[in-house]
Amino acid sequence: MLLEKAPPDAPPRPATPRRRRSLLPYGLLLPATVLLGLVLGYPLVRLVVISTQRYGLRSLFTGTTTFAGWDNYAAVLGDDQLLPVLARSVGFCTALVLGTLVIGFGVALLLQRLGRGMRTAVTLCLIAAWALPNVASTLVWQWLFQPGYGVVNWLLTQVGFGDLTQHDWTTSPASAFTLVWLLVVWQSVPFVALTLYAGLSQIPRSYYEAAALDGAGPWRVHRTITFPFLQPILGLVTILSVIWDFTVFNQIWILTQGGPNDGTTTLGIWTFTRTFSGNDFGQGAAIAVVSVALLVGMTAVYVRRLVRSGEDL
Amino acid sequence: MRRIGRNVAAALFCLVWIFPVYWMVLTAFKPAGKILQPTPQFLPVDITLDNFADALAKPGFAHDLANSVVVVVAVVALSIVVAFLAATALTRFRFFGRRSFLIGVLVLQMVPVPALVIPLFLGLKSAHLLDTLFGLILTYVALVLPFTIWTLRGFLHGIPVELEEAAMVDGATRARVMRSVLLPLVLPGLIATSVFAFITAWNDFLFAYVIMKDSSGYTLPVWLVSFSTSTGTDYGGLIAASTLFALPVVIFFALVQRHLVEGMTAGAVKG
Repeated sequence: MLLEKAPPDAPPRPATPRRRRSLLPYGLLLPATVLLGLVLGYPLVRLVVISTQRYGLRSLFTGTTTFAGWDNYAAVLGDDQLLPVLARSVGFCTALVLGTLVIGFGVALLLQRLGRGMRTAVTLCLIAAWALPNVASTLVWQWLFQPGYGVVNWLLTQVGFGDLTQHDWTTSPASAFTLVWLLVVWQSVPFVALTLYAGLSQIPRSYYEAAALDGAGPWRVHRTITFPFLQPILGLVTILSVIWDFTVFNQIWILTQGGPNDGTTTLGIWTFTRTFSGNDFGQGAAIAVVSVALLVGMTAVYVRRLVRSGEDL
Repeated sequence: MRRIGRNVAAALFCLVWIFPVYWMVLTAFKPAGKILQPTPQFLPVDITLDNFADALAKPGFAHDLANSVVVVVAVVALSIVVAFLAATALTRFRFFGRRSFLIGVLVLQMVPVPALVIPLFLGLKSAHLLDTLFGLILTYVALVLPFTIWTLRGFLHGIPVELEEAAMVDGATRARVMRSVLLPLVLPGLIATSVFAFITAWNDFLFAYVIMKDSSGYTLPVWLVSFSTSTGTDYGGLIAASTLFALPVVIFFALVQRHLVEGMTAGAVKG
């Protein structure tokens, strides 16, 4: 804004450069707008369009499609798989978010209370888990839980769960989900813990001191100081976790491919198999639209607040 | 007493959280005969580099590594330039549509990425960019832009405008101000965002898996996964390859992890 002002002793400027200057920000924004529009904005619109088209293998080669109206949605909503898939997706997402938040919050509180050396150690462990690319960690997971030589099976056997050395975790949906749950929580806790810890360290010490003087117990201190202060960050972390955990794909796909017998097929996996294995892009897009709608519904409150807070951007 | 309890809890947590990483590195350095053992060995006794040599010699590894490097370099360079220009516009000018742009960027960041797979696949197909590294590069640049713009904007916001004004009074052109005043000051921000772009492009599996159908265009994550399913048993080579793949990310990550937390929370703390 200050740049718009001419230096005090400069002669009055002619009109032309002025107008050009007011176009400059648009020029600077142009590349970003074009890219975001082409690769994120347009596909979103296109997704909705495809979901109303008959788009199969033939359309893929000829490029011609026919309008299908609500047919794809009717097919998807009437599909026997829909309810189990929905229940699985929501249930799994909830379990992931809860696990991540509870452990993450616990670790953040722990970090706040640890001595310097131990805090550094915990932080390093967190960063190592966070940084490991998710394809690499998924492959490591396969190896940790491998039937026959997996070290986790060996440990469980030693601890006394019976002979689990040959146990294959992907043969039942429940244990397959457990396998993926452990992996995703292991990877997601670091971001949550470090972000919440950053939030915790911004709370002035004097508040806690005053509370201690007044004789408030630990639970009361958290309820009246920690949570209110942490609320915005807690909200963000929750919403990001919901988005990420609802759309987990790589880990499930690489570990189970949605099996056994579609037992770990979530909405993301269903979209993918319907589209690329079943070659039905229309129905795949309809499933994707349904999941985006669900996600928007779940995060609507937060998005509204975000748009409101845009006042002071 | 409480102090001891905390330290024990922290130590246990460290043990559990670091174990998968430790096990990966340990396996990567174990000699072939020691990997598939009914009783696992938890300490590094015999160390060998064979598995790494093995991984590097696997068909496709070197070639797909080269693909990954090309993609990552292009994505980092492009996204930094585009985001820097955008962030400059957003922090140094007041103009119609500025707020809408910012909110649009925030909302785009919330779009679940897997939902974009189908339309992107079809869009790239009709643009004849399927199976090309260029198509993959464009995709990644757009995916990282919301975050990079948002973070760079935060960094630029903290730099006083007076510095630029002083340079302009001294007769510097706007381009020159951008180059020799803004750029050096915003360098830490550029490093943080370029690492973010690096990690996103380097790690991605889903888009590379869908867009690159021909194995000549595979990037490392796709190579890793296809390698694990096609052989299944060679854990030494596979885990060594995963370790090599993870190495640059872990190093870069350690450098900028704080900025990532800041960048991600920047939108929320204000609310």
